[in-house]
Amino acid sequence: MAFEKDINAAKERAKNIRLFAHDIHGVLTTNTVFCDVEGNRRYAFWHMDGFGDLSFMANDIKPVFLDSTSIDGEGLFRAKELKLDKMYFAVTDKMAKLEELKKELNLTDQQIGYIGCELSDIPVMKKVGFAVAVADAIPEVKEAAHYITNAPGGRGPIREICEFVLRSMGKWEEWVEKVTKMGYK
Amino acid sequence: MGYAEALEKAKKVKFVIFDIHGILTDNTLFYTQDGVKSEAFSLHDRIGLKALMDSGLGVSFLTSKVARDVEQMAKIYGVPADMLWGSSAKMARLDEFERQSGYKDDEICYVGDEMIDLGIMKRVFFSVAPSDGSPEARGIADLVTAAGGGKGVARELAEFILKAQGKWEQFVAQFK
Repeated sequence: MAFEKDINAAKERAKNIRLFAHDIHGVLTTNTVFCDVEGNRRYAFWHMDGFGDLSFMANDIKPVFLDSTSIDGEGLFRAKELKLDKMYFAVTDKMAKLEELKKELNLTDQQIGYIGCELSDIPVMKKVGFAVAVADAIPEVKEAAHYITNAPGGRGPIREICEFVLRSMGKWEEWVEKVTKMGYK
Repeated sequence: MGYAEALEKAKKVKFVIFDIHGILTDNTLFYTQDGVKSEAFSLHDRIGLKALMDSGLGVSFLTSKVARDVEQMAKIYGVPADMLWGSSAKMARLDEFERQSGYKDDEICYVGDEMIDLGIMKRVFFSVAPSDGSPEARGIADLVTAAGGGKGVARELAEFILKAQGKWEQFVAQFK
């Protein structure tokens, strides 16, 4: 099923965000757990999504891991590596957690972005200012989204949406320039 | 940048520096339940790296941090340990290498895929990006490989450079 999204409207929404929350499985991961015959488990993330989150941080948008379905704290390893200060795991009520964050950081719904893939993401997506679905999200999530990434879960959606947001804000070129000059220290 | 120009540039390359994530790997990061990270490398690249080194070109890996997976893969690829460079200050690391080795920017090829590589890609003589690199990296690269990261970028680039330099046939001859 194809979902037509109004790109210009999505850009207007993306301009306002100060916090960007993401689910773990199906967004940061491919929604696959590799389980070997000894029972060891393994999850697949995407290197460049880390750059997406770092780019958010460098441009005053707070990335938040908001997870309800992790099994081994797999998102935690990734979040620690990226040095995120806001990460929540095994959250049973994402709405309540977001409300809490909103108060703590003094933000409005319009300033919150969220990317998801599953049924459990829909209530949050309907509430926040900028809701995004990954390319392989279920149809209901795509329908609720203001924007759908070309990348499926675990294959770069954060890198992609970060660029979309920063471009909408008119900050992308400046950021590219800044990163290009890095590398001497 | 057209194909003919890239071929001309490749003729002058004496040293090839590879970024690792997204170049020698496909960008996927696997984490076990205990938090141990692993990545997928291509064995297809093994013969490409061998071809470059056998033909007298230098090869190094440049990444922010050299972990044990990179050390292990370097052994498999036959890349010497002192050519594994771990530094997030990539430009400064290149300065240091050039001072020590005598290689110059106009003899160096750099393969990168992300914005963090742009500075170094602009600096060296011949810059390369994989087909699935970021638009920024592909936009300034002298050559974009048909292969995506972790799917034989080094293999493809080695053949491109060595054919440009007329050294490929000689390398291939040993297998006939």
